[in-house]
Amino acid sequence: MRVVIAEDLALLRDGMTRLLRDNEIEVVAAVSDGEALVREVVARKPDLAVVDIRLPPNFHDEGLRAALELRRRAPGTAVLVVSQYVEPTYAEELLADRGGGVGYLLKDRVMHVADFLEAVRRVADGGTALDPDVVAQLFSRRRRDGPLERLTPREREVLSLMAEGRSNAGIAQALVLTVGAVEKHVQSILSKLDLPQAPTDHRRVLAVLTYLQGTVDEAQK
Amino acid sequence: MAVFRRVLVDQATYRRLAYLLSAVPLGLVWFVALVTGWSLCLGLLITPFVIPLLIGLSFMTRGFAAVEADIARSLLDVDARALPGSPWGAGFWAWFRGLFREGFWRAQAYLLIRWVVGFPVGIAVFTILAAAVGMIFAPAWIPFVSGGAHLGFWRPHTFVQALAFVPVGFALLALGLVIPHPIGAAFQSIATSLLPTTTRTAARPAGTLSPSVSAPASQAAPARHAFQAHAAVEGVLMFVLIVIWAATSRGYFWPVWVALPFAVALGIHGWVLQLREHPQLVDRFRGNRTLAVSAGVGVALAAYFVAIWAITGHGYFWPMWTMLAIALVLGVEAAAALFSAPGSTEMAERIETLETSRAGAVNLQDSELRRIERDLHDGAQARLVALGMSLGMAEQKLTEDPDRAGELLAEARAGAEHALRELRDLARGIHPPVLADRGLGAALQSLANAAPMNVTVSADIARRPEPAVETAAYFVAAEALANAGKHARAQHVEIRMMRAADKLELEIADDGIGGANPNGTGIYGMRRRVEALDGTLTVASPPGGPTTIRAELPCA
Repeated sequence: MRVVIAEDLALLRDGMTRLLRDNEIEVVAAVSDGEALVREVVARKPDLAVVDIRLPPNFHDEGLRAALELRRRAPGTAVLVVSQYVEPTYAEELLADRGGGVGYLLKDRVMHVADFLEAVRRVADGGTALDPDVVAQLFSRRRRDGPLERLTPREREVLSLMAEGRSNAGIAQALVLTVGAVEKHVQSILSKLDLPQAPTDHRRVLAVLTYLQGTVDEAQK
Repeated sequence: MAVFRRVLVDQATYRRLAYLLSAVPLGLVWFVALVTGWSLCLGLLITPFVIPLLIGLSFMTRGFAAVEADIARSLLDVDARALPGSPWGAGFWAWFRGLFREGFWRAQAYLLIRWVVGFPVGIAVFTILAAAVGMIFAPAWIPFVSGGAHLGFWRPHTFVQALAFVPVGFALLALGLVIPHPIGAAFQSIATSLLPTTTRTAARPAGTLSPSVSAPASQAAPARHAFQAHAAVEGVLMFVLIVIWAATSRGYFWPVWVALPFAVALGIHGWVLQLREHPQLVDRFRGNRTLAVSAGVGVALAAYFVAIWAITGHGYFWPMWTMLAIALVLGVEAAAALFSAPGSTEMAERIETLETSRAGAVNLQDSELRRIERDLHDGAQARLVALGMSLGMAEQKLTEDPDRAGELLAEARAGAEHALRELRDLARGIHPPVLADRGLGAALQSLANAAPMNVTVSADIARRPEPAVETAAYFVAAEALANAGKHARAQHVEIRMMRAADKLELEIADDGIGGANPNGTGIYGMRRRVEALDGTLTVASPPGGPTTIRAELPCA
């Protein structure tokens, strides 16, 4: 796998490079601002770009804007946005084009190396990786709405992991269940929330998120 | 009866009562201390000793006013505060003059009113309550007092005769519990207009220095009603006292000592009302409203002392000295009005407002920095120390006990995650990243999304206001949302934001149970933030709800 990293803090840029290289992932370029990122990605066509949200010159959301630009200009490259804080709105913007290969994680997640690498590979393969904090915020704002309350606690756990973008196998591993048991939970959730079966994990994430978003919109009307 | 029952269970009744009765000891102390202080100052007027005396007098007034502000806040529900200090920095004389700004004179007036009006009212209320208690328990004592009670026209001495007093006693008790409400309301408006309040500092928006000489017509009717209520309450009280006098000794006509201050208060109130309804009267005092009011107060006080002189058996005409003092004060005030530029009072008031809000802003910043320092010290720093220890121990165990080393490393990682989380929360509390990234509209939407209740946001901002204004608006909305969820148990909150030409208007309305405490730390903090930017904050939160919080922030 070939990766480009955009991170303005040298300490973190080198750390991330080392972490990925130690795990047989090739880092083809490590840059420190959004413009360089777009240039390198367009030129080298890597499998994945790992982008920090806060980049020079203004240290606002330049990284996110660069990531959105990459979605248009380099559709073959997956984008994993990492940040010191997560904002559900930003996740919505990243997922808005409904294409796969998107991730949005807290930088903290790097500390769980295995989980982080799994997310990196998932995104590079066209899947989704949403930070548990984003999912938790989406859940918490619609906690009181009916359908979510009808799920069992275990089903809510499964739904959270689905929303993060994990496959049934990944969910089974995280919850120490058999894949068969997870499949049963997923069936039950989909029927309780009246969601269609999705052909891929990414489609499934979109359906779940659209559901969470949809209830938000209805509630706000 | 229903009214009485409501009054009986209403906590405010007893607080008003406590306020009225507190005037008896406090009014006396204030009066004696201030009269002594001013007499010393007058006596030593031409010596240098007058300077330290005046400084002492000013600090004494401030101390007294602070006590009264505390009392007004807890017993009258008036949002009163202590007088702001005089800022030091522009030299001694500037500081000295600062001691006698308008707030000082208002406080003087308030303390004097507590004596002149409050003392007799307190005595009258106490008399009514004492008489009520005595009558209610009449059957318990009248039969056992030899010769019964002496009532002039009647001398009840048997148990059955004493029973006749019980209903009268209850009626008096009802009266004693009902009247603190209108009288308390009158004192409430006196305290609001004379003591420094948080709303006063917020009441005058930036740039408006127009003197409020003539009141708009809409205010005239309530003012007139207030005067009529004032007169009615005094009339009822006097009637009751005269009945008590007639029913008891009928000897020395002591109610006159209540009637006199009542008349003074009513006279001053009437004069203020006249000035309000006939602005042309103010023009005769060179358009200076303060001077016009002072003249009325002076005349009323002079008449008061002359009347006292007249009913205490003439003799040496001592009121001459008080009248001389009053004339002196009026003369100085007239001279000041003659030489001062029009509008300078308003300017001084505005300066006072700015000084208060600036002091508030500095305090706010200081306490915020302290909080951040404390959070860093107790939170992230401590966690990093623990993390370092775990790592050190893991290094030690690495070869001899790899399992234990692995546990310690996992502990260290958990500690690092925790520290990161705390730092993130802290950073968000200082300045939320989404506010910097996307502006106020997006930040409010993000707040709304994170809130546990339904929140609608309508933000109409064509141009982004200054960062300081955005931050203040954001934290006001955040605090209001937190309160709506925590205290008001609201289901739905509406946040509306409008960008006018020179200001940003923010309104947060919930459907909760209301009853927000205007002096609670939450609202106090919001007010500080808004006032620091020269804005205004209004909170409407009647018990039972709903709560509407409105902030106006000037911005270019």
